[in-house]
Amino acid sequence: MRAPDETTIKAGQTLLSVQNVSLSFGGVKAIRDVSFDIKKGEIRAIIGPNGAGKTSMLNVINGFYHPQEGEITFKGVKRKKMRPHDAATGGIARTFQNVALFRSMTTLDNIMAGRTLRMNKNFFWQLLRYGPAEREEIEHRRKVEEIIDFLEIQHIRRVPVGRLPYGLQKRVELGRALAMEPELLLLDEPMAGMNLEEKEDMCRYVIDVNNHYGTTIALIEHDMGVVMDLANRVVVLDYGQKIADGTPDEVKSNQAVIDAYLGVAH
Amino acid sequence: MLCVKPYNMLCKIFVIPFWEMWDLPDIFVQTLWEGLVGGTLYSLIALGFVLVFKASGVFNFAQGIMVVFAALSLVGLHAIGVPAFLALALAAAIMFVLAVTVERVVLRPLVNQPDIILFMATFGLTYFLIGFGELIFGGDPKVMITKELYIPTGTYSIDFAGGRVELQKLDITAMVVASTMVGVLAIFFSKTRIGRALRAVADSHKAALSVGISLNQIWVIVWFAAGLVALVTGVMWGARSEVSFALEIIALKALPVLILGGFTSIPGAIVGGLIIGVGEKVGELYWGPLFGRGIESWLAFMIALIFLLFRPQGLFGEKIIERV
Repeated sequence: MRAPDETTIKAGQTLLSVQNVSLSFGGVKAIRDVSFDIKKGEIRAIIGPNGAGKTSMLNVINGFYHPQEGEITFKGVKRKKMRPHDAATGGIARTFQNVALFRSMTTLDNIMAGRTLRMNKNFFWQLLRYGPAEREEIEHRRKVEEIIDFLEIQHIRRVPVGRLPYGLQKRVELGRALAMEPELLLLDEPMAGMNLEEKEDMCRYVIDVNNHYGTTIALIEHDMGVVMDLANRVVVLDYGQKIADGTPDEVKSNQAVIDAYLGVAH
Repeated sequence: MLCVKPYNMLCKIFVIPFWEMWDLPDIFVQTLWEGLVGGTLYSLIALGFVLVFKASGVFNFAQGIMVVFAALSLVGLHAIGVPAFLALALAAAIMFVLAVTVERVVLRPLVNQPDIILFMATFGLTYFLIGFGELIFGGDPKVMITKELYIPTGTYSIDFAGGRVELQKLDITAMVVASTMVGVLAIFFSKTRIGRALRAVADSHKAALSVGISLNQIWVIVWFAAGLVALVTGVMWGARSEVSFALEIIALKALPVLILGGFTSIPGAIVGGLIIGVGEKVGELYWGPLFGRGIESWLAFMIALIFLLFRPQGLFGEKIIERV
């Protein structure tokens, strides 16, 4: 039996939508009356110049920030605000712009941490690490090894992630998000600071995740080439406002977008 | 006799003590044992600190008073007629209530504040618990209900190298209990979901939140675990001397232990505790006279200071190697 809020959303239907969301920090308006939706199974890009409110938008979706106005509808449930825990249980996983990993833990433990919500044997079994807790541990370990294979990071399984180069850290972070088997994956600049080869790898993983697992992806990215190749639809923010929304081609030829990126004399 | 004039002092430091150890091995072994037992109790206290520090990065100054509070609750409950083991369970429950309260009242409002603020908050907690404890239980020292909890007392005497070594049964129990506890906690921390979640929270709050770990739940768990460790420490320490608020200052003794062992390492807390315990007793007996005795009270800090110079992360602490 399913809980009422777990309506199954079919591919192409709206998985998440934000309606008229406004967010401000004191006098600074980070997001002004933005609405858009993310459809099940698509790769949705959020782009915009620096300070446009892209990361704030992800934080709203993920429940780190609570907007003053507007609503967020996820899987048919309308909310004034998300809570991080609700977002995670509901199947929203994310990565961060400046990698947020558990630095002193190994790659394996980091990705295992992504399984936290899927493991549920109680405290006392955990304390003994015996019986059900041990079986559970092994079962989840199998899933984690699959992800490690998929991301080709077998060689760094036992390395504390704090010591890894940046590109690999980003990959481990993606692995941790994937371990949650999310329905919606939020990627905050997954290719930032990477060289060409690493970017190509990352693109491949994003596409594979989308194809194989059918995971819906919302990503923020600055590299326009990447965005145009990956995304099905693009939403463009500037100064906290939505200035365009559509397929990559539509957005590319939109005058407001061109102005925002190149600057325009007022 | 061995020492000649110009090298007198050096000789007294580097030769005589070792000769004495060799000469009277039974006394040496007895001292070593006492050191180990004292060390076990230091380890237990340090363990409480490590638990909270690992999961929340907070140096919990209140650990010492938690030991006293737990022990007083146990003795106090028994004094009003609760059977010993039920009192033990209730004392554990009280520690749970304390953990929940601390999380609600102290930690939650201070979330995202700098560590030093949280550290100061644990100071506040310490003085609150002292006052609260005195209000309920009174300030007089109490006797631990050793017999009622079936903790063996008495001694084993062993003939050794022409002398005799006495081992307190109580001390043996303390060591067994401490080792078991450490074993369970070590496995719990490294191999289980909740253990991993604890370490995750210590490393990054926002990343932990993003994978659905509840900070509040984790904090309750660590403070409760620290409370249980405090209860065990309180019983063991109380059985050796008495249960009084003076125990609270042993929190300070845990500091050199932690510096030695590393703030984040459970094995470190154990080894650190043992080194400090043995170091104190052996140091006092053999080197004490050189400094007019009483070196027991500062030797631990001295050892810690020397350690800080050469190995600031402690024996087992995580190496601070990071890409920047």
